[in-house]
Amino acid sequence: MNSEDDRETRPVPSGMTRSEANTGRFGMAIFLISLSILFAASIIGYLVVRMRAQLWRTTNLPPLPSGLWLSTGILVACSVVIHYALVQTRRNNLGAARKFLLAASVLGTGFLVNQFVNWLALTAAQMPPTARNLYAFTFYMLTGLHAAHVIGGLVQLGVVTRRSFRGAYTAQYHPGITYAAMYWHFLDAVWVVMFLVMIVQN
Amino acid sequence: MNTVSSPVPPAAAEPGHAPSYLQDGHGIKSWIMTLDHKRIGVLYLISILAAMFLGGLFAMLIRTELLTPAKTVMEAETYNRVFTLHGAIMIFLFIIPGIPAALGNFVLPLMLGARDVAFPRLNRLSWHLYVIGALFAVYSLIHGGADTGWTFYTPYSTTTTSAVVPITFGAFILGFSSILTGLNFIVTIHRFRPPGMGWFRMPLFLWALYATAIIQVLATPVLGITLLLLIVERVLGVGIFDPTLGGDPVLFQHFFWFYSHPAVYIMILPAMGVISELVSTFSRKHIFGYKAIAYSSVAIAFLSFLVWGHHMFVSGQSPMANMIFSALTFSVAIPSAVKVFNWVATMYKGSIKMDAPMTYTVAFILLFGIGGLTGLFLGALATDVHLHDTYFVVAHFHYTMMGGVLMAFMGGLHYWWPKIFGRMYNEKLANIASLMIVVGFNITFLSQFIMGSLGMPRRYYNYRPEFASYHQWSTAGAFLQAIGFILVAVYLIHSLRRGRLAPANPWGSATLEWRCASPPPTENFATQPTAGDPYDLKPLVFDPKLGGFTYRAESAEGVA
Repeated sequence: MNSEDDRETRPVPSGMTRSEANTGRFGMAIFLISLSILFAASIIGYLVVRMRAQLWRTTNLPPLPSGLWLSTGILVACSVVIHYALVQTRRNNLGAARKFLLAASVLGTGFLVNQFVNWLALTAAQMPPTARNLYAFTFYMLTGLHAAHVIGGLVQLGVVTRRSFRGAYTAQYHPGITYAAMYWHFLDAVWVVMFLVMIVQN
Repeated sequence: MNTVSSPVPPAAAEPGHAPSYLQDGHGIKSWIMTLDHKRIGVLYLISILAAMFLGGLFAMLIRTELLTPAKTVMEAETYNRVFTLHGAIMIFLFIIPGIPAALGNFVLPLMLGARDVAFPRLNRLSWHLYVIGALFAVYSLIHGGADTGWTFYTPYSTTTTSAVVPITFGAFILGFSSILTGLNFIVTIHRFRPPGMGWFRMPLFLWALYATAIIQVLATPVLGITLLLLIVERVLGVGIFDPTLGGDPVLFQHFFWFYSHPAVYIMILPAMGVISELVSTFSRKHIFGYKAIAYSSVAIAFLSFLVWGHHMFVSGQSPMANMIFSALTFSVAIPSAVKVFNWVATMYKGSIKMDAPMTYTVAFILLFGIGGLTGLFLGALATDVHLHDTYFVVAHFHYTMMGGVLMAFMGGLHYWWPKIFGRMYNEKLANIASLMIVVGFNITFLSQFIMGSLGMPRRYYNYRPEFASYHQWSTAGAFLQAIGFILVAVYLIHSLRRGRLAPANPWGSATLEWRCASPPPTENFATQPTAGDPYDLKPLVFDPKLGGFTYRAESAEGVA
């Protein structure tokens, strides 16, 4: 309620009241809290199974691919770039913002492609998703769940990028970019936690 | 103050002159693609009543089969599928969305004096997801249904040949629907409260929906990942619940109950909210202990996350875990009892009017009391080992779920029926039907407490002859209830066309939804109403000309 007191003194964006913008961000935050429970449960499930297992990675199975480090780098970069897209939008540098959005889309796609390459490499090294082994299964489960959410993020980011090139956003009105930034920071954070857990546990 | 919730339509400021939301647009498309929370509420109402009918039909099949100790009407395999479908349909398609999605969707923005929920498109999406999830359940039904019980326990659910995947996928999709509704309600309650409505001026139904929404948002994702893993394990033949790979079938139970125990509070909390509204209105008294009821809703929501292990006392959990879960389970009794105490204190010295909503309210308090207290027998470790998986458990959760949630749903349905459809139902028939339902309910389930404590296991198809008389009583009670529910359907449908036109405020409640016309216009309120004390019933007087309540002349500013 306190945040509403200063509403009169702050600029109200055109086309959308401050109240609406706050409502949208609030809804997105709740959505991300809900999603974080999904990932937390998955990681806890992974840890429980990992602790119980007598033998985790049998000798015939490959270690985690080093390509995961590249994935991590790409996703962190994506998160940084999308942050600058938001910053430039707020500063009304809409041209620069567009370039950053485009770069973020490319990086997001690159992350997904690299994950796919990682999976292919493991499959080639006798570790397909159907290998009857929990080390293999949990790896595909966690990375697959994350990748599914990356696909959703790419669809939204693609729409936002397209709309930004059509001039749909202004320094005052850019809910799509705000939501994209929130979501990709979230995907980034989830990935880093997931990746560290997998590294430590193997 | 809030531009989103306070549209100022130019004309049609007079209530009753603006076309109602029911007349605003005709044809199927104007309904299934609507963004109006009232229409979405009605769509939900129709869907969940259909689910309730289907689930009820399966219940009657179960009770018919159990009339005799041996085969009565169906094979054992069919029986397994029938009780699974009864449970799954009633839980996922009826009780969980029942009060929040149907009644809540309709009432929540009206109670806030708002135009709609915060995200109407998400609201519509959540109903569409509900329908898609329901279709998967029906698809499973056509393919013979699942025979796992509604809990889908591994490893049976990963090995049985019945149609497990479609029904679990249906429940998975219903989870999204539930999360989106919860998200919408949280944001709406935070952002759309009208002038004069601080947190402690909110109707208690909204407190209950808020607490429910928190559970929906925080617990449902766990069900999502659990069911997803179950489906993957069935499809790929590999997964973390498979003990031959070093996986853990009990992990499934932990995950499942981490959602499904909070889920019983997703069911009961909105019911408690409804009761808090009804008990004040029909006792013609201010609610007693407002803050205690509001805080106890939040306390129940919080505790709900800490008690899932009480479903697993015999699963091989460590005795220490069992003791902790047992103690935490007992602690849920405190906020629940706080509510019951305050409801009874509200009724004390009130001028109680036993209209149908109040009959159901009184039934709720009594039956929920029995259901809650028998929960303590099950929360105590020593007695639970004896009572586990007996009919005592079945009777216990039917007393809370049906005696609790369903009674509150029926009470709320009768209470808001005039607001939703603008017509009054037949009060005399409603009273007769409620009596049949409440009496039939007790005959059905009291006998199950007795046979359960004598050792009759749940889910059994055949049973020893000494249990026959209890089962026959139980079946007789079920048929009495069925007749009662058919009577309800008959007079409610009849009222849609022939019922007396409803006044804006037939019951004399002070919450905002009764200040707009019955049924409300699409815009809900012509001007932003100002909220006062939602339980200050004194200024409301009965006006025989209107057939409903209105504000005394001296407080004319209260009139919409």
